[in-house]
Amino acid sequence: MNLSDSKKKLALAGIICGLVAACLAYFGNPANMAFCIACFIRDTAGALGLHSTETVQYARPEIMGLVLGAFIISVATKEYRSTAGSSPMIRFVLGMILTIGALVFLGCPLRMVIRMSAGDLNAWVALVGFILGVGTGGIALKKGFSLGRAHETSRMNGYVLPVLMAGILVLALATTLLKSSESGPGSMHAPILLSLIGGLIFGAAAQRSRMCFGGSVRNVIMMRNFDLLTVIGALFVVMLIFNIATGRFTVGFDTPGVIAHSEHLWNILGMYAVGFAAVLAGGCPLRQLILAGQGSSDSAVTVLGMFAGAALAHNFGLAASATALNAETQEVVAGSVPVQGKAAVIICIAVCFLIAFLNTKNEEK
Amino acid sequence: MREKELRLVVTFHTTADAMAMEKACRTMEIPGRLIPVPRSISAGCGLAWCAPLTAEEDIRAVMEARGIGPEGLYECMVRM
Repeated sequence: MNLSDSKKKLALAGIICGLVAACLAYFGNPANMAFCIACFIRDTAGALGLHSTETVQYARPEIMGLVLGAFIISVATKEYRSTAGSSPMIRFVLGMILTIGALVFLGCPLRMVIRMSAGDLNAWVALVGFILGVGTGGIALKKGFSLGRAHETSRMNGYVLPVLMAGILVLALATTLLKSSESGPGSMHAPILLSLIGGLIFGAAAQRSRMCFGGSVRNVIMMRNFDLLTVIGALFVVMLIFNIATGRFTVGFDTPGVIAHSEHLWNILGMYAVGFAAVLAGGCPLRQLILAGQGSSDSAVTVLGMFAGAALAHNFGLAASATALNAETQEVVAGSVPVQGKAAVIICIAVCFLIAFLNTKNEEK
Repeated sequence: MREKELRLVVTFHTTADAMAMEKACRTMEIPGRLIPVPRSISAGCGLAWCAPLTAEEDIRAVMEARGIGPEGLYECMVRM
């Protein structure tokens, strides 16, 4: 079934993805983290021992499911194309920026929308930064920014990331080699099989609909095209209904227990970096996983960069802390962005500008 | 609801080529506009140039003059 030839079908893809996210939140994924690419990559990096923050270590089957779902559907529909060669190391750096910026905000664009649907006003503030970031990336595109063209490669090359993901899944299911949190967000998860099935469905729907948070905003800004935004809008509506129906909808800034902070400037700048990097890399964190699944080794390198960025964010203490309730005093302790996290975001934005500037073609040809 | 019409759609290897195409067509006053690559053409998410079928000759000429290499030229239904 083609999920993209009309806005109704695009909305259907968004509804399917929204239902998957709602289902996973209901069955155990952390509050307002129903489905977050940056957080789940961070958890999976922790499970592999790439960082040692004990509260965020768990091999999230959703990540493997997304890549494998996109891989399976693209092979089945003959859309699988193994490509590579478009500035892989720059993409690696952009992948790092995607997760560092996201972990300062505490969520990728997908989770930003999920948080918005739960009434988290911090996410609405961050949306401003995300739109500005995508807009800045759009200006770079208008000026002739390009990372160069990708070329067809051996089919095997594109199989590598899906096989690696399947390998992590086997390790998670059949061995005790991977680390697993006993407390904190990493310990909260839906049953493995449900998470995997959810990831597979989400991945297939995202591949068919070309769901992309960066791309949807880019298309609106640059071409006044709202097709991709339809997918996001439908997902938002499903999650809004779910949150209201289950009593999870709370309008506010300092809400303990929802894994967020209220440092507005850094929410904006964190998502600005994500939006900017997403346009330069040709897709948001979710889209990178989907493109990697359908054969793009350039996106696979971006995904590896996201793993490296997530590990770095926790090894160097760049990630923000969430607003929480002190169990002893019952006082609300405001979440915050550490100084090194703020510095990292500024560096990430500067690097985005550098990449944009240094990879702009002279149009006088 | 806007109607779909049969149009000429040019896809490119890079977004920069699509931008160069837009600039060249504006300068040469060749009709058309940038659109997301239609899903029926590709699972990718780049930009394409959409123009009336009658503009094909002009489009080929401007691409050759500016050294813009197309990935492909298609005739497909596009919502106007």
